[in-house]
Amino acid sequence: MSHAATHTIEHAEEGLGVYTQKLGMWVFLCSEVMFFTALIGSYIILRWGSAESWPVPAETLNIPVTALNTFILICSSVSMVKAYAAAVHDDQRGLKRWLLTTVLGGATFVGVQAYEYIHLIGKGFLPSSGLFGSTFYTMTGFHGFHVTCGVISMAYCTLRAFRGKYAGGNFHGIETVGLYWHFVDLVWIILFTIVYLF
Amino acid sequence: MATAEHKHPNYIAIWIYLAVLTGVELVVALLHFLPRQMLIGALIFLAIWKALLVALYFMHLRFEPKRLVVMVLAPLPLAVILVLFVMTEFGK
Amino acid sequence: MTTAGVAAEHLEHALHDDRPFIRKYVFSTDHKIIGIQFLFLSLFFLLVGGVLAMVIRWQLGFPGKAMPLPGAWPSTMAPDGVVLPEFYTALVTMHGTFMVFFAIMPLLVGVFANYLIPLKIGAPDMAFPRLNMWSFWLMIPAGALMVAGFFVEGGAASSGWTGYAPLSANPEYTGATYGQQLWCLSLIVFALSSLLGSVNYITTVVNLRAPGMTWFRLPLSIWALFITAILALLAVPILAGALIMLLFDVVLHTNFFLPAGGGQPLMWQHLFWFFGHPEVYILILPAMGIASDLIANGSRKPIFGYHSMVYAICGIAFLGWVVWGHHMFQSGMNPRLGTTFMVSTMFIAVPSAIKVFNWMGTMWRGNIHFTTPMLNGIAFVAMFTIGGLSGIFMAATPADMYIHDTYYIVAHIHYVLFGGSLFAIFGGIYFWFPKMFGKMMSERLGKIHFALTFVAYNLTFFPMHILGIGGHMRRIYDPSQYEFLRPLQPMNEFISLSAFALFISQLPFIWNFFHSLFWGKKADINPWHDNGLEWTAPSPPPHGNFETTPTVYHGPYEFSRPDMEQDYLPQNQPLPAPQPVAH
Repeated sequence: MSHAATHTIEHAEEGLGVYTQKLGMWVFLCSEVMFFTALIGSYIILRWGSAESWPVPAETLNIPVTALNTFILICSSVSMVKAYAAAVHDDQRGLKRWLLTTVLGGATFVGVQAYEYIHLIGKGFLPSSGLFGSTFYTMTGFHGFHVTCGVISMAYCTLRAFRGKYAGGNFHGIETVGLYWHFVDLVWIILFTIVYLF
Repeated sequence: MATAEHKHPNYIAIWIYLAVLTGVELVVALLHFLPRQMLIGALIFLAIWKALLVALYFMHLRFEPKRLVVMVLAPLPLAVILVLFVMTEFGK
Repeated sequence: MTTAGVAAEHLEHALHDDRPFIRKYVFSTDHKIIGIQFLFLSLFFLLVGGVLAMVIRWQLGFPGKAMPLPGAWPSTMAPDGVVLPEFYTALVTMHGTFMVFFAIMPLLVGVFANYLIPLKIGAPDMAFPRLNMWSFWLMIPAGALMVAGFFVEGGAASSGWTGYAPLSANPEYTGATYGQQLWCLSLIVFALSSLLGSVNYITTVVNLRAPGMTWFRLPLSIWALFITAILALLAVPILAGALIMLLFDVVLHTNFFLPAGGGQPLMWQHLFWFFGHPEVYILILPAMGIASDLIANGSRKPIFGYHSMVYAICGIAFLGWVVWGHHMFQSGMNPRLGTTFMVSTMFIAVPSAIKVFNWMGTMWRGNIHFTTPMLNGIAFVAMFTIGGLSGIFMAATPADMYIHDTYYIVAHIHYVLFGGSLFAIFGGIYFWFPKMFGKMMSERLGKIHFALTFVAYNLTFFPMHILGIGGHMRRIYDPSQYEFLRPLQPMNEFISLSAFALFISQLPFIWNFFHSLFWGKKADINPWHDNGLEWTAPSPPPHGNFETTPTVYHGPYEFSRPDMEQDYLPQNQPLPAPQPVAH
């Protein structure tokens, strides 16, 4: 999204007081809220209405490893805001360093999740394993897909940063991608709590 | 909180804040010292607290125009309506 | 400068456009080209959906009889020209799906939102032109996947356009294993396309309005398209989520909607209609906006109650989120919810009636020009009113229990979707065709098309109300199987013949469209004497739309001002100075 050409017109009527890319990203995130509502809401409804007792997540899932993974994702969110701050202050070295950290953090998260999936499938816990399996794989799978998309766009931004595209305080692209990245982090905070800890 | 510096709050402080909250969550969830209903309430409270920190400071909603904040919050009532209405369907 | 001078200068500017053909007309980022691409694509799917409807009508009017060209039909669908029951259910499903998702919605949102928003708000293009291009090019695979359903083993999806689980979630129930999967996949791709479109429309309207184009100077068509984009933005992802779960139920054997594994089939209905009801307004609000523009123009009067029109659009959109349960009165849903939904649904009559009375107030004592767009606009108001009134019956739970899933519902949806949306779409195409292609469509053929369509349409769909009250079920393969329906069979035959006439009535439109495209009269810059900013750009407007960003001085409905000779005043021209009152 960061690279989409943006038309500006002189003296346009004031909209919501933010630049077009950022507004577009927020509008997109509103849509994402509804998408995750469908998935997470279904989980809540199914668990609430489930006739049998719901399996205890800690008996199937590895909570400590996922807690560590949550921490990694939060760290990558912090490195993302650091990258944004560096872009605002035109600190090119800092920008590149923090962006790389973010990409690494995101990629690690996806890697650990892939490891978790392989482990769970090996144990015989499948999407077809009752409602818990269905909802677990759908929610975390689509979250993982969003993280993967984030890592790819972040890698693209890093490439652009190394080519000096964000020099001179040109931070709009970084801020816009950052919003997406924090949103994905935010969704994980909710998911981790209601899927792993309940 | 670092509200004095408007454009950039102290990100590291928020990072520590988030890490501590995650630790509290783990303690609450794994040590089972609360009754089930309170446990769920506490965890939801902590999760919303963390989500708010991310939205307000990392996504700097705190420093955005009011109109944008209103727009961003618009989907939330719809999400709540959907989930609550359908939950009444399957109440135990 | 004279208008001709401006036009000539623009034309020169247009000729300097040195983008290669493929960037200009195929993978174009120009909102006008994308709008026109959507126009051709969705008119094609309108035709496909229409052909499917003809086969459905043949089977209902003449059950068990061979169709024309009996040898031409594949034996998996209609051996010797006789429609098979499983093909019939696929037909019903695909007719609904094509018409809702691939014809009416892209016609309204894809064509008019794309074409009109930047032109009418004075912007050079959309906020994100490249995403806009993707929004169109995702519709191609979505459509291809949907059409492919007919040619896979087991046939196309057969669980209705609403895809109710568990019928849709277990392939053994319909036999359409691959068809159902393709249906889900296609609609997921469609949801992505819709998302990209919505993000663009909302951002563009919010941030790219020309100076002076304040919120309450926006034409009602833009207001309606803007609110529609918000509805699509928030409703379509719910559909996407539900479709993903349904697809997983079919492919990965998850248990979301399958009671055998502990799932909740009713949850599908809730999710589907939580999307589905806003979707209904996605299909009618833009038509209301377009009709408002057409009627004000054809009546040569300012729109009656502009602000109340805007608030009515917002009110309908908001109420649209809390009424979804009225599709489910018969589903065994919690009865307390049923009452809530009944009351909230009845409230929608209020903003809808405000709009209808405002349209009538606009026409009242106007200097009405019965042009083809105006005729279609008036038909929209009349047909929407009939469809709206039959809707009130269904909103009442006791009445709905009787008419639920009968032809009464079929009549209602076609009165609002065909009589409402499609008449406004035809009106819009006649109205903006000169701007899109720089050629006029023939008024005479347009009026013939309108008259034939209007008559055949009412003959087709009005009797369906009576069939429905008679207990004729929706989606049944052979009504003559039931003794109580046999006396109604002549009416079914009559409806089928009228439907064939309705199909043939579209021929003048197709001829008019393509003939005018190549050999039509050259269009002026402002053939309808309208006030919108699009009529201040040449026909067709060049890449970038306006030479300089226009400045807007007033609202779009300044018709027949008493202090002016000319009965219209484009938005980029200042209001005349107030004259001193003579004593």
